[in-house]
Amino acid sequence: MTEIVTKNKKKIVTTLPSDIDQVGVVVKYDILKYLRSRRLLGMIAIEALVLLLITALPPLLGHQYSSNADSFVNTYASFVTILVVIGATLFAGDAIVSEFQSHTGFLLFPNPVKRWVLLAGKFIASMGAMFLVLFIYYGVALGLGLAITGSFSTLGAESLLLAMLYAVAALAVGYLVSSAMKGATGSLILTFALFLFIFSIVTQVLSVASVDPWFILTFAGGTIGYITQVPYPVNSSNTFGNGGQTITMNTFIPDVGVSIAVMVGYIIVALVLSYFFFKRREMAA
Amino acid sequence: MTFMNDPIVIENLTKNFNGFRAVDSLNLKVKRKSFVGFLGPNGSGKTTTIKILTSLLSATDGRAYLEGVDVAQDPKKALAQIGAVVETPEFYPYLTPVETLAYLGELRGISNKDLKQRTKEVLETVHMTEWVDKRIGKFSKGMKQRIAIAQAILHEPSILILDEPTSGLDPRGMFEVREILMELKKQDYTVFMSSHLLNEVQEVCDEVALINKGQLLRNGPVSELTGADKRRRLEIKTIQPMSEEWLGRISNLHDVSELEIAGPNIFVLSLAGGDEAQANLLRELYGLNLEVISFKESGMALENLYMSLIKESR
Repeated sequence: MTEIVTKNKKKIVTTLPSDIDQVGVVVKYDILKYLRSRRLLGMIAIEALVLLLITALPPLLGHQYSSNADSFVNTYASFVTILVVIGATLFAGDAIVSEFQSHTGFLLFPNPVKRWVLLAGKFIASMGAMFLVLFIYYGVALGLGLAITGSFSTLGAESLLLAMLYAVAALAVGYLVSSAMKGATGSLILTFALFLFIFSIVTQVLSVASVDPWFILTFAGGTIGYITQVPYPVNSSNTFGNGGQTITMNTFIPDVGVSIAVMVGYIIVALVLSYFFFKRREMAA
Repeated sequence: MTFMNDPIVIENLTKNFNGFRAVDSLNLKVKRKSFVGFLGPNGSGKTTTIKILTSLLSATDGRAYLEGVDVAQDPKKALAQIGAVVETPEFYPYLTPVETLAYLGELRGISNKDLKQRTKEVLETVHMTEWVDKRIGKFSKGMKQRIAIAQAILHEPSILILDEPTSGLDPRGMFEVREILMELKKQDYTVFMSSHLLNEVQEVCDEVALINKGQLLRNGPVSELTGADKRRRLEIKTIQPMSEEWLGRISNLHDVSELEIAGPNIFVLSLAGGDEAQANLLRELYGLNLEVISFKESGMALENLYMSLIKESR
């Protein structure tokens, strides 16, 4: 820690905190901002709606719940990626760009805080908010599974771990977009669009071209749902048509190990690039 | 370099924006405990210089030091020495003034006990004690500017850097901020304040640095700079309408220059000399049978100096 000695007759002594301590301060106040701005509460409200629909619709439509805990949780796990997309948009989509666009950077950046400290603090706060959403979601799903089937879904717990990793990767991509974009609205839309359909379109096109889209983040995120299926599905290929004209449709299933590596790769590359853009970015106007 | 006496030192500072040179080899030293007005027209490079000093922009060339610390080399240490209000900062709308000050105070390492005490003191200084628990999102521009000043002085920095602190405020807001500035002047701060409001600078600053096109035109104590320029600008209103003939006769009078028509029966001129020259001019105007309705100084000494320097640098 550096003690700053000023030439003033100061009534107070300020000991400049270490970078790590400052990360903690940024996390604390960014979490407070999420709470006050009602983004976190809004996210939890969406989550509650999703949980309600998944839980209430089957009996209302006359369907029985699955008696197998893993199969029960699978229905919930299939919708997690949507929650992660919304979370990444709300918690990461404008996290950096808004400091520049809304001029809060004029308040924050002239303070003795390194850019990586701000990035790390904000990112950890976003992770905290996203993990809270996931814990509530899986807590309800696993709890209901235990209550209804009488057994705990260990594959559901593994799905949670994959969901957490996927969420961190999605947030990292959101931060990258937010660091590179000029406007907050554009950044939010691009983050949402990337996960909702841009990655999906690329995955579909690659599949049609018989190219395994293992390196696409949303494809890797598919493991969150697949892992609760027993047995774990495998790649398949179907040929349609008769006579001379046939069409072969490939269905690619992400491998868990490869997908984990892909998600970690996205996290590292996106955060490094995000820092690069954030550090270089000037508060010009 | 004498960092002990000059807490702000700018050396050959240059900033280019896509080929446009906003700051051009600027050199400046700010003396400890001085209140320096950084004066220049819009686009002269004031805000760019201040943004480089506060690490919001990086310099293309040259160096800026705060308490002897190179801002580009060690921004964390350099920025620990200062409090700054740059442009019109926005606040996190969901936080209250107390929470905002706590956030920035904790980042600067102020202990909880000191933070509580200082928050109370600075909010009193900027007259915002009634609003401590209200969310800033609902505040007016003037109130936000007062909170901005509060955060700048929270940690009792040795240097205060203020970028047009009254910009965009209504007359009441400007008056309130100026009162706060006058209060700060009595304390131990070294203040470096950009402005294009000449009356503001003359009112609160004891030194001035004039800049145009990114280059320093003149700097020094206000009294010395204005005293060095012995000319005064006068505005004269007459019964007779002004004509070329009248202008020709008036321009031949003693110590008169820069004569211009400012209205149907108004003209302005520059007069070299002091009070005696001014009294003599009035006598000479009567001698020309010119019926004078009003005869007054137009603008302040600093304004006259500023305008002539800006004209010369064009």
